[in-house]
Amino acid sequence: MKYFLRKVGFFVLTLWAVVTLNFFIPRLQPGDPAELMVQKLAGKNAQLNPAQVAAIRDMLGTPTGSLWSQYWQYLGQLAHGNFGVSYTYFPFGVMQVIGQAFWWTVILVTIVQVLSFGIGVLLGAFAAWKRNGRFDTAVTLVSTFVGTLQPFWIALLLIYGLGYGLGWFATSGGYEDSTPGFNWGFVYDAISHGFLPALTLMIVTPVGWVLGMRNTMVLNLGEDYVRLAKAKGLPDKVVALRYAARNALLPSVTGFALALGGVLGGTILVETVFDYPGLGRLMGEAVGYKDYPMLQALMLLTAVATLLANLVADLLYGVLDPRARRAQA
Amino acid sequence: MGLRRTLVAVIAVLTSLTLLTTGCAGSRLAHEREARRNHSGGTGGMIPQLNLPAEFDASVGGLVNYNPYAPQQLVKTWLYEPLMVQDSLSCGVTPWLATKYTWVGSNKLIFDIRQGVKWSDGSAFTPNDVVTTLNLMKKYPAMDVNGLWTSAFGAPATSVTAQGDQVIITFAGPAVSKFSSILGNLIVPAKIYGKVGDPTKYVDKKPVSTGPFLVGSYNGRRLELDRNPDYWQADKIKVQKLVLQGNYDANQAVQMLRNGDLDFYTGEIPNPIKTFVDPNPQLNHVWYAPNGSTVLAPNLTRKPFSDVRFREAMAYGVNKQQASLKATYGLMQVASQSGLTLPAKKDLLPPGYALNGGASTILAYDPAKANQLLDAAGYTKGPDGFRRNPDGSPIKLTFAVQAGFIDYQAVADEVVSNLRALGIDISVVASQPDSVDALKKTGDFDIMINYMAAGCDYVNGVGATLATAQIPTKTTILGNVERYSNPTVDQALKNLNGETDQAKVKDEVGVLVNTMMTQYPVVPLFYAPARAIYRTDKAAGWPSAEDPYCNPQDNARIWMTRLSAAK
Repeated sequence: MKYFLRKVGFFVLTLWAVVTLNFFIPRLQPGDPAELMVQKLAGKNAQLNPAQVAAIRDMLGTPTGSLWSQYWQYLGQLAHGNFGVSYTYFPFGVMQVIGQAFWWTVILVTIVQVLSFGIGVLLGAFAAWKRNGRFDTAVTLVSTFVGTLQPFWIALLLIYGLGYGLGWFATSGGYEDSTPGFNWGFVYDAISHGFLPALTLMIVTPVGWVLGMRNTMVLNLGEDYVRLAKAKGLPDKVVALRYAARNALLPSVTGFALALGGVLGGTILVETVFDYPGLGRLMGEAVGYKDYPMLQALMLLTAVATLLANLVADLLYGVLDPRARRAQA
Repeated sequence: MGLRRTLVAVIAVLTSLTLLTTGCAGSRLAHEREARRNHSGGTGGMIPQLNLPAEFDASVGGLVNYNPYAPQQLVKTWLYEPLMVQDSLSCGVTPWLATKYTWVGSNKLIFDIRQGVKWSDGSAFTPNDVVTTLNLMKKYPAMDVNGLWTSAFGAPATSVTAQGDQVIITFAGPAVSKFSSILGNLIVPAKIYGKVGDPTKYVDKKPVSTGPFLVGSYNGRRLELDRNPDYWQADKIKVQKLVLQGNYDANQAVQMLRNGDLDFYTGEIPNPIKTFVDPNPQLNHVWYAPNGSTVLAPNLTRKPFSDVRFREAMAYGVNKQQASLKATYGLMQVASQSGLTLPAKKDLLPPGYALNGGASTILAYDPAKANQLLDAAGYTKGPDGFRRNPDGSPIKLTFAVQAGFIDYQAVADEVVSNLRALGIDISVVASQPDSVDALKKTGDFDIMINYMAAGCDYVNGVGATLATAQIPTKTTILGNVERYSNPTVDQALKNLNGETDQAKVKDEVGVLVNTMMTQYPVVPLFYAPARAIYRTDKAAGWPSAEDPYCNPQDNARIWMTRLSAAK
């Protein structure tokens, strides 16, 4: 019970810290949301219309009073589950807008992360099993090289090569002509639009898993229990997968959960390059427009996702590692 | 080896999936393009379809709102309409929902409302719709985006009433300079918007409008608008269907334009002649109309810019031609020091400057003259080779420029190298656009680039750069960034506010021009463009350098009535 209370207390404390930082950091930067919005609507070569700025300030209800009283007001709203109205998408609520973008990112990222994790771990395990062989050298070298590349740069290459050059894929947006919903036209449309963003992420994401898995696996292969298993005459497949790989997987699982939680940040650039209608693009836009309510909600979402993922990782750990289960019991 | 087999299987599945999707997507896109090509050309003088970029510049689709008073709306141009349309280049006024306007004195404006206009639900458009729309702005200041009821650029309105077919707006004082902005208000149906409380908070999903197009379909990304057969000037609209889709960056836009997936674009494209026109000069066209001026705004409260002789030297010592070449690829002409866009406004120049369409107001690059002026004014060079203030104090300046505004940065580099050649110690500091905005408010800068509007009322246009009342405050950016203050100018602007007689307007504008020509509060470099980047394979009649009948960027309503099917 004490353990449980401590965990919950920690959760609440972290959440409070996140909410507070979310509130203050964006407001410390220069710039006025209303002026910014008018300027963006009018374009760079336009004089700011003071009447319009005044009207937009009035519309967004740009807060009066000290930052401190705004902060208390914000906490009160949050307690009531009120995330406010988006500045960019006024008069729509923040949650309504996020709801539109949510599944795009969640589906894209889940597929990419699961596939990357699977491929990365497999490649890493195989490389370690055949360590110092030709395959291992190739995998390690390529991973190290690809790991230094920026995702948005890869995205640009793909757009020019596969998009404009060969014309195989759509280069922007999440879909084009079809009506969103569960119909084949749309699913097909969404896949053909999501392919390049997914491919971009697929090139970069497995790298960490490959290298991490290879290194832990190499360590595990040197352990006595592996040697014992081999001496017992167990088949290679069993030794590699059920013994060494299973143990080597443990740190990766924690890492995987954390990666799922923190994925929003990583997709901002890629989604922006592809004009993909997901949360990352939304976040980039919210920064650009100083859409404080939107930024706060997205950051909070990220934080909660990371905290939850941590919890899931803790639970999963018990399943994979019987020792952890016993220690808890 | 089991492990290897699993690996191979996974890779095989992935590869086949890739091939499957690529194959289909490729053929589908090609097919679509082919179909579009066959459709273009048109039959019976009609244009079957035009593709334009989305007017909604945010990324999340699926949120449907056609409310013209929301900050972001799906359609800005084609549904709701204004009373009249003013072209910012020629300043001509085209009757729209109103057929005529009359000023009674300078504080009463009367619009004659057009008869026979129908809302898209079939009901009649009446003066009451106009009155309701304008009065809602009084009740809900958030809706008053053009400052009808505030004292921005002229006296506030005191009442809006209907009298027969007329709508009468009265003001608390002279308000002639509010005219252009009043025309910016779009008229919404009284029976709907009058009942929704705060109109800015109303989500308008089924627009009832007067405009040339009706909402056809929207899937969250691609918005199709169909021609409104009952439009009050339907005979002038030749486009059957408008497709609004996508917010493109420069590279994407060029690709789309070249492929014919986009027919008209007003965004910034680096070197459009080379990237767009040259590949197919028959069909691809560019027109950059002079719409305002990009100016150097020195901080007049600081030395040495507080000295008019220094500013005069700077006006000659900056290579504007070269700056235009670097920033706009030479598409924009060197701007007139008068502050007016020439040749469009040449008739407003006072007699002293009017010769040859105002040729003498365009100051040529003359570094020798600039050096002479500086020497004569006492800015002598110190031992380090840099000039000093006449009082002997050193000059060390920074040029504040917005990082990421590539054209502005090119200008800053050119200007700084010109001034250094004159012996002035100045360097560029690039920072976030937000930070530069903050400098405009605090006034903590030496020199920066600013935009000077041309416009059709000179209180709002040139006046916003020169009026004492337009000096930015701690909280609000206003036009007079350089912080110029001159009672003669303020009086002229005040007079303009009450002036409807064009001859007298010209006299007062003359005061502004004389100030610009002798006081150099800002130094115009080159004109800022209103852009038209367009194709003529489907439609002809776009505004162009040969036929500059309207501002292509701001007056889409006008060019839509002039388009015809390509031959």
